[in-house]
Amino acid sequence: MTRTTLTIVLLAIAAPAHAMHISEGILPLPWAALWFLVAAPFVIYGCRELRRLSQDDLAIKPLVGLLAAVVFIISCMPIPVPTAGTCSHPCGTAIPAILIGPFVSVVISTVALLIQALVMAHGGLSTLGADIVSMGVVGSFTGYGVFKGLRRGGASLGMAAFFAGLFADWATYATTAAILASGIRGSDPFLPLFTKIVIAFVPTQLPLGILEGALTAGMVTLLARKRPDLLAKMGLITKGDSYERA
Amino acid sequence: MKGLNFQKSSSHPLALMDARVKLVAALCLLVMVVSSKSILFPLVAAGLSLLLCLTLKVRLKTLLIRFSEPLFIAAVVMLLKSFSGSTPLWSLHTPFIDIAIYKEGAMEGLRLASRITGGVAVVAAVGFSTGFTDILAALSWLRMPREITEIALFAWRYLFVLADDAQVIHSAQKNRLGYVGIRRSFRSIGTLCGALVIKAFDASQTMTTSMVQRGYDGNMPFLKHRPIRSVEFFPALFVVMLMGVLWAI
Repeated sequence: MTRTTLTIVLLAIAAPAHAMHISEGILPLPWAALWFLVAAPFVIYGCRELRRLSQDDLAIKPLVGLLAAVVFIISCMPIPVPTAGTCSHPCGTAIPAILIGPFVSVVISTVALLIQALVMAHGGLSTLGADIVSMGVVGSFTGYGVFKGLRRGGASLGMAAFFAGLFADWATYATTAAILASGIRGSDPFLPLFTKIVIAFVPTQLPLGILEGALTAGMVTLLARKRPDLLAKMGLITKGDSYERA
Repeated sequence: MKGLNFQKSSSHPLALMDARVKLVAALCLLVMVVSSKSILFPLVAAGLSLLLCLTLKVRLKTLLIRFSEPLFIAAVVMLLKSFSGSTPLWSLHTPFIDIAIYKEGAMEGLRLASRITGGVAVVAAVGFSTGFTDILAALSWLRMPREITEIALFAWRYLFVLADDAQVIHSAQKNRLGYVGIRRSFRSIGTLCGALVIKAFDASQTMTTSMVQRGYDGNMPFLKHRPIRSVEFFPALFVVMLMGVLWAI
């Protein structure tokens, strides 16, 4: 009975999806430090990867900077979610992960999260590590992995991008729920609180994940139609490939 | 995006203070807030930081926008936590549902909410009193990876241009009924993101060409920092130590 009650209450409060940023101060110091440690190798390797790429092409750093701005704008875009009656925000990490790889995408997410933490109070400095892990690391690697896997399996560009966006979004929120539950549970058991948080995310995140998939697919499809040269430059299609063949 | 455009009050002592001093002091306060066991200390930090924001002439509306998301999350966390515990504070029994709020969970929820409020307020005071590029220069001084600060500078420079472009495209799509029906909305939002990525690609090429003409070799030079003055350092140290004493109590 209690579980049913909680489910009803949590569906009623339906956490808005901008909660993908774990808010400033919410995690105790040891947990905040732990997530910084988890995020650090990915960020450091991403920076090294970026440095290596920029030695070959001077335009890479400005491009990555502008993609960070795009991710920032996308993740600030308010989108109405009819099932929850609230506004939500996509993550946008699948897009850079598909375009320039998951490690550089972690750097892009770090920058977008840093700007959001400093100037908009979305996320925070103490929770930056946790936010990088959920949105940057898990979101980017899930999006990239799903996209590459489906493309190898013969899926079309649009289809692969759709599922990459969908699963990147859902994986981000599942990780956020796990990080939150482990950080704020105190002496309570992990699983019940994790379930409560996941239930709170469900009304916004299920439709928003689909929207994020559509957004990623729309972006890749538009690039394939209008600027296939850019996709060829990023290695997503071979030179001379048409949109239909891709 | 509205919250990005706050212009700091240039004559306020906090605005004139070196960004490195402010950032280090804020990080110390943040550590204290996050590691605080009491409800009161984060609220004191929040009160002082909000007072500073108001003396910086930050409008109440801007502050409310800045705090709307964290406060909502704080409320949700309080609610989530208040369902656990053993001492009932309040309960509702109906034939269909039973709801009970427990003392232990409610107190834990309050502690979390106070930490969120304190943490957000401390960072807001730094954000409202310091330019973003100054914060980046300070982060660079604190040994943040160079790539992150460089990418952040590029992103910050073009953020407003791309946001304006996104707004124009969105308005045009809305005027042409691009958001009528779910399928059309999905297509419109995908096109909007694709258009932004194309603009980002093109702008990065133009930017690189013009930067290379001015001697860009792949590294962005940061301005050399001036020495930190004692008139900036000691007041900040005093505040941090005072708060440290309060935290220890």
